[in-house]
This record gives sequence, C-alpha cells and structure tokens, in this order.
Amino acid sequence: MEDYKFLFKVVLIGNSGVGKTCLVRRFTQGVFPKGQGATIGVDFMIKTLEVENSAGQREAVKLQIWDTAGQERFRSITQSYYRSAHALILVYDLSCQPTFDALNDWIREIQEYANPKVLKILVGNKTDRDDREIPVRVGEEFAKAHDMYFLETSSKQGENVEKLFYEIAAELIEQARQKGGLSRNHHNSSVTNLGMKNNISSFQSNCCSGGVGTNNNSSN
Amino acid sequence: MLSCCAKLSCCQAGCFKPRYKRLVDNIFPANPEEGLVKSNMEKLTFYSLSSPEKLDRIGEYLYQKATHDINRRRYKLVEIAMEAMDLLLMACHAQTLNLFVESFLKMIQKLLEDANPSLQIMATNSFVKFANIEEDAPSYHRRYDFFISKFSSMCHGSNDNVEIRNNIRMAGIKGLQGVIRKTVSDDLVENIWERQHMEKIVPSLLFNMQSGNAREEEVNEEDNEPKTPPVLAESVLRELVSRASFSHINDVLKPLLTHLDHHQLWIPHEFAIHTFQIVMLSIQPQYSYRVVETLMSHLDTTASAKTKTYIAVVLSAIISIAAGESVGPSALDIINNLLTLLRDSVRRDSGSSKNPTIGQYQENLINALGQFANHHPDYQKIEIMMFIMNKVPTFSKKDEVDQVLQIILLKSLLKVSVQYRTVSFEKAFPASFLQPLLKMAKVTESKVRIIVMEILQALIDRHKNQQTLSVVTIKKYHSLSLEPPSRSDIIFANKQVGNLMNALINSMLLDDQVITLESAYTTAALMISEMGCIETLQEFMVFIFHLQNKALSLEDLTVRHKCNLHRIAISLATFISRCLGIFTDYCEQLIDKRRQNAPFLLPPLTEDSSPTLHSMNLEIPDELLLDRPFIVSVLQKSGIRSERLQMESLFPSDRRPSLIDGISTRDGNLSDTYPDIDSIKSSPDVSRKALNLQELNMLELNFEGMKRILTAPLESVKLEEVNKEKREQMAKSLKEQDFDELMKFNESSHDHIQNKLNELFNSLAMDRPYLNNDNTLNPKNQKPIYEKNFPELFFF
Repeated sequence: MEDYKFLFKVVLIGNSGVGKTCLVRRFTQGVFPKGQGATIGVDFMIKTLEVENSAGQREAVKLQIWDTAGQERFRSITQSYYRSAHALILVYDLSCQPTFDALNDWIREIQEYANPKVLKILVGNKTDRDDREIPVRVGEEFAKAHDMYFLETSSKQGENVEKLFYEIAAELIEQARQKGGLSRNHHNSSVTNLGMKNNISSFQSNCCSGGVGTNNNSSN
Repeated sequence: MLSCCAKLSCCQAGCFKPRYKRLVDNIFPANPEEGLVKSNMEKLTFYSLSSPEKLDRIGEYLYQKATHDINRRRYKLVEIAMEAMDLLLMACHAQTLNLFVESFLKMIQKLLEDANPSLQIMATNSFVKFANIEEDAPSYHRRYDFFISKFSSMCHGSNDNVEIRNNIRMAGIKGLQGVIRKTVSDDLVENIWERQHMEKIVPSLLFNMQSGNAREEEVNEEDNEPKTPPVLAESVLRELVSRASFSHINDVLKPLLTHLDHHQLWIPHEFAIHTFQIVMLSIQPQYSYRVVETLMSHLDTTASAKTKTYIAVVLSAIISIAAGESVGPSALDIINNLLTLLRDSVRRDSGSSKNPTIGQYQENLINALGQFANHHPDYQKIEIMMFIMNKVPTFSKKDEVDQVLQIILLKSLLKVSVQYRTVSFEKAFPASFLQPLLKMAKVTESKVRIIVMEILQALIDRHKNQQTLSVVTIKKYHSLSLEPPSRSDIIFANKQVGNLMNALINSMLLDDQVITLESAYTTAALMISEMGCIETLQEFMVFIFHLQNKALSLEDLTVRHKCNLHRIAISLATFISRCLGIFTDYCEQLIDKRRQNAPFLLPPLTEDSSPTLHSMNLEIPDELLLDRPFIVSVLQKSGIRSERLQMESLFPSDRRPSLIDGISTRDGNLSDTYPDIDSIKSSPDVSRKALNLQELNMLELNFEGMKRILTAPLESVKLEEVNKEKREQMAKSLKEQDFDELMKFNESSHDHIQNKLNELFNSLAMDRPYLNNDNTLNPKNQKPIYEKNFPELFFF
C-alpha cells in the first residue's frame, strides 16, 4: 500500500555557511544552488530512495531531511529537532578551521539534546575547494574519538553526496532489522532503536574508506 | 486484479470496479482545469452518508490517487482530491470519521511533504478544518509530531517571493493553531506541552511576531481575521498561553525566554515587554504571578549586567499586572525574590568599581517593586513594608555591603511608602515597623537617615503638605491644608510622638548638613500639621525645648550647627503656634527680638562656615531663647496639659540613644561592666547580673545556663533586700512618668541587654565554635522571657 517501507528522520547541523542546505539540495533536487542565503529556522525536504538490503531486495526508504539553520540565534528551535532524529549529520567546512573548531560545541549539543543512540555522521564538506585547512586524517580522528562515521563531500561536484545518504539509509535499515519487529510504516517508525554498538565498526570502516579515498566515485 | 482491469476497455473496467471507486473516479473531470465535478461529488457524498462503512475505503482510495498524482506532478488533480476529502469530512458524522481521518491525515502529510507551496497551504487549510471538528472519540495513537515539525518549519518560511513567504508563514501558524486546538483540550491525546513541541511552537510564533510591528498593523485591521503573520502569531500565542494550566506555564515560558535570549531581544526591550504583556494578559489570572517568578529566576541566571538591566525593566513593566491577582504569600514571595535579587546584586557587585549599569539595574528592580506594591490594597502595603523592613540589615558593622544594602532596601521601602495612602497612623505605623525604622534614623550614614525621613514624611503626610513644608522658615506657609486630627491620631501621637521626635533630634545632631536638617525639620513639621492639637501640644513643645537645650548644652557642635538648630526650633515653635492659634504673639515678639539682636538665629539654614561665624562665641541671652516657664504659664492659663513641660528632665529617655550607640561601637569587652546609672536605674540588676563575667564563667554555656541567668535576677531581687534609695527612685519615676515612658525605658534596657548578650554570644562563638548551635538558639528563645519579665518589674 505505502510507497515506502521505512521512514527515517535525518537532521543536518553545523555552523552557519558550511553548506548544509547545498548538501540537501544537491541530494534531493540534484542542483547546486549558487548564492544560497542563510537558512531561517528549519527547512524540510523529503526524498525516497531504493536501497538494496542484505537479502538482495530493493526496498523503498523515505528520508525526512530537516535542514537546520546554523545561526546561533535559531539554536533554540533547531535543538528541538534533534530529539526525534534517527540520524544526525554534523557538517563542517574543510576549508574553514573555525567551523571545525566548533565541532566540540556541537558534540555537546548532541549529547544534551539528541537521543543518545542516534546515528552520528561527521561530514567535511567542500572537497572541491583547493584551500583545504583540515586534513582528512584530522577529521577522521575526530570522528573516531566521538563514535561517529566520517565522510568528505562536495555539494558543488556532487561528490559523495549520494553515498552519504544511501549509507545512512542502509545503516538505519540494518539497525532497524536487527532491532527486529520493526513495523514498516511511518506512524510508528519513530520507535526505531538506533546506533547499536556492535554495528558501528562495520559501518565505520565502510564509510571511512569512502572518506579517505576521496577519488572514489560515489555511484550510489 | 488492477493490471488485469487496465487491459480492458474503459467501460468494462468501470463495471469491474467497486461502486465507491467508480464514484470517486467520477468526481475528477476530464480536464483538470475544470475542477471538481460538483454533481458527482454530491453523489459520492450521498453514497458515503448512506453507507458510512465504506468511508474509510473511499479515503484510502482518494489518498492513493493523490499520491499517484503528486508523483506525476499533476497538482490540479491532487487539489481536487483534497477538496473532495474536505467535503466528505464536513459532510459525515463524527462517529464514522475515525478511520477516514487516518487517510485524511496521510493525505495532508503527503501534501505537506511536497515542495510546492500551494499544496502545502492547501493541506494546512484542510488540517485547520479538521482541527475544528469535534471528534467523539479522539484516537489516542494519532501522532502530531510531523505536523508540529513541519508547521514550525513553515513558520520560518524564507521564499524569495514576499507574498508566497507570508502565505506559507500564515499557513504554518494556522497549522500550529490547529494542532493546539486539537490536542490541548484532551489530556489523553498527544501532550502538546511536552518540551519537544513547545520548543518548536513558541519560537516559531515569536519569530513571526518579532518580524513585524504587530501593534501598528492591528490598527488597520477592520475585520477579525488577522492578515499578517505577526498579528496571527500573536493571537495564537494568546490562545496558547490562555490554555496553559499551572503546571504548563513553565513549558511555555522556558522556550520563550530562551528565544528572547538567543535573538537578543532584551535590548532594546520593546518587543520583550510587548510579548510579556501578551503573556500576562492572556494567562489565567490566578497564575500570573508564576510568570513574574519565572522572569525573576531568569534574571537571576542571566550573567550580562546590561541584559539584566533591561530584563528588570520588563519586569517592572509587567509586574503590576500580576499584582492584582497575587495575594498573601505569593505576593510576599515575589517581594522576597525581588529583595533577594537586590541583595545578590549588591553582594556581587560591591567589590567592583561603581558600575552605572548595575546602579541602573538596581534602580529598575526597585521600580519593579514599587510597581508591584502599587497595585496592592493598602493593608497589604503595610505588610510589604514590614516585610522589607525586616530585611534591612540593622547592625551597622561598618560593612560596606550592608550599608549599600541598607540604602537600597530603604529606597525600596520608600517606593512602597509613597504609594501608601495613610488613613490612620496607628495602622500605618505598627510598632514592629516603626521601631526598626526609627533605629535606622539614628545611623551615622546621612544618606540612610534622609531616606528614613522621606519614608516617614511619605507616611505621615496625608494632606500633601510635604512640598510646602520642605522649606525652613518663620514666614507663614501658604496653601497648607490642615485637618484636625482624629481621636485615634491623638492616641497615636501621645504614644509615639516622643519616640519619633527623639529620632528626629538624634538625626539633627548627628551631622550639620543642611539637607539632613531640613529633612528632619520637614518630618517634624508634617507631624505637627497632621497631629498637632491641644492634646498633643505639650509633646511637641517638649521636643522643641529639648532641641533648644541640645543646641545650648552640647559643646562639640559647631557654631553653624547650633545656629541651625536654633533656627529650626524657632521655626517649629512659630509653625505650631500658628497652627493652633496659641502664643502666636510671643513667637512674633521673639522673632522680632532675634531679628534685631541676633538675625543669625533666624532661618534660613545656612551652610555658611565663614570664619566670622566660627570664631563667634555663641552666647545667647536668655531673652532670645524660647522661654519654657512662659510657655508653661500660657498653657496652664488655657487649661492645656503641661506637666511634662514642667519636669526637670525634659526627655526621660534622654540618654538612650547614646547608650545604644555606645554599645554598638564598643568591642564586646566582657569584663567591662556597663557603667551607666541610667540603665541600672531603669532595669534593676538585670543588666548587671547578666553581664557579670565571673558569674557567667561559672555557669554552663548552654541554653539552660542562659535561661538561668535570665530568670535568676528576678529571684534574687525578691530574696535580696533592695535598698531604700533604689525604691525611692523607682517610686518617684513611677509617680512622675506615665506608663508609656516606663515602657520606653524598658525597651531601651531591653535593647541594651539584648545587644550585650549578642555581643557576649558572638565572642563566645568565636572562642568556642563548637558551641555555635546553642548560642544561635539562645537569643531567639530569650525574647519571650524578657517580655514576660518586664511587666512584673513594675510590681515593686
């Protein structure tokens, strides 16, 4: 009946100007909006994708993507969106040291407001820039230290963008299955238990390799 | 089955389809632009009314069709499907709706998920329609998470097209309103007050309110439908707040405060005030004090001094709204919190150099306090004043913080007292309030005394004479409004004028600044104007002569100070004679004499400290002074009581102030038995006994021991033969003085012993810290014993 089997809520956070909105736009609409203004409050996008499950079947997954404003003044409303998220994408601009420095504050925010078992992904955005300030290794280590997955992307060139969301979808499905008894429509999908520890390592190696080898083409 | 159908011809497919599907299909026109086929829609409605069990399937089918159309971007058809669902929702009876609603909401969600603004707006409108329907049995499993999230997101809509943006925002706000209406009335459905919801709803509303000047636009509104996001958001906020029960107030206020913090909306404070006024006016009145309390606790946690200043302004702007509803404990609670904030501010900021923002902040808090008190009935103002009085640190330990705090709290007290409209002095000055207040009038810090004088003036002045009487002069006061005092005023005056005047004289003697002298004069003159009459005349005359005596006898006063005191004395005497129309001629004559021989003994007061004045040897011939025997004879002739004026010592409690001062400055030296005859006379043996160190040492220093000390004197007095001399003294004083005077004595010795004991305990506490508990307990427990004992002292 439904046109999808799973529904997951994904929330993007990170400093202002790191490219959260562009990342979402690239993924949902396939465009790179030039001169994108600062997001106000929270933006909402939806995307249904097909993911091959472990049994080799393709399953429809609907991602509700909440794109939050990076500006400090909207912090109170954006925080309220963390709580119900299945996955949090924490984005920094790899050509801008301060956005990386702010990650610790963001981690604190996540600990305070998000579900403790939420799936966390660290994303270094703007690999297309040639004035990189944060080496891949630094980002990777930070991710490892905080139990996060890591990926570097470029919204402008579309690099790793699809991969990012597909990996998230796959991982969330996997977790949902392991949890078992998960019903497949959105009315109660919010009960999914996420971020099971035994799972993390496998995903991480998977994801990190994608991150390290930035030359890899991200097909899907 | 379906795929099979598709292969067949259209008409055949129609035959195979169930009836409801055919009916649904028929409402869609061949050309989407033509809109809903009305006649067929009527058929569908009729069908669903006659067979309601099919309704849920109709809903499901419509949803599927719409999903299909959305995916193909055939938005016109989607709109038609939505319209049909709306019509069905409206047409059908509540009890059959339940399952249909599920598809209806799924449909709405589907539309909201799409990026097309017009679909979102349409979906919201449908949602609002749904929200206004009363369902018989709310479905408890239904969740509004997504709707709240999405509507909040829409409230922040940032479409480049202003019109679309406004429409989206309006839709978002209306949607939130719908969710609120749907959920708020029923506790069993989703709890809208949960943090995750409120943290979305409240900031979304505020965000819209702050983006426009709602008040200006309201003026242009003629119909009741709000047209712009700010106006609509404001009305939704009102609705939300008005539905908040006691336990949910904080759920609303917390995100509200956080939002104001994050968006830096305290400075400037217009929006914050506006918002809080909305909250205060729409909240259920009995809870409004909670808002004030919450704001105060937020004030407490705010770090920036500047922000605090502005929050305090907001506080003072809204506090009066709460005042009407808060009574008794909650009112005092608010006062207490305000005072605590003041105290904290003084404590925290005393170390740093004088910061103007902090001063401003404290000023704002005091204003808030005044505002709050202003809206209370007078009897509560007294309570509030007494409450504040109790918070004023009494002992002046040269502690800078305490001194600042004294001033600040007295200022707060003044704020309240100017709002109090005195009717009866007895009610305005309960003893427990007057006593500590008068004590404050004796402190060395002139600023404190001036404020105390202002408080007294505010409370005494019933006829708005303060302004007139603020000038010391022998000329006639014009535009003075007088009214003879009532019976109870006279009783009060006879009881308390002595105390009050005593405090005034002390204040005048403490330093020679014109401003303090003038404020004391004004207080005295106000008392005369309010309480002056034949019955109280002698009290005032006692005061005036006492003042004159002091000016003559005290050697350490400067010449200027003495002159000023004489000026005040003559002015007051003239004033009282004019008020009562008695010995006016005498006053005129005296003034004339002084004018000729010693003009420096006439007002105005001067700050003049020229050498000529200083070198002058102030020998004033008796004829230039107020003549006591003459006044007595005048009073006697008119049959006015004058026995007090005839007494040798004018002020029996003459030495009292110096006693207290002496004690407070002494460093608790225990072996130093207090040498004052006066106190021994007035309280036989108690003080001596209690202060005898050797005896103290023999006793155990615990509660029982202390109790024994206190009870012992009485027994020993009984046992021991009191010598004759003492008896005579006692008898004499009992004959000559009235009860009040004796009370005054005992109060003084009471204080005296209390002070001494406190000192004692302090020093003991320093020596033996482990006794602390016992010692702190004792002073409290003593008091009743004193109070019991004192009346008995009059027995012999």
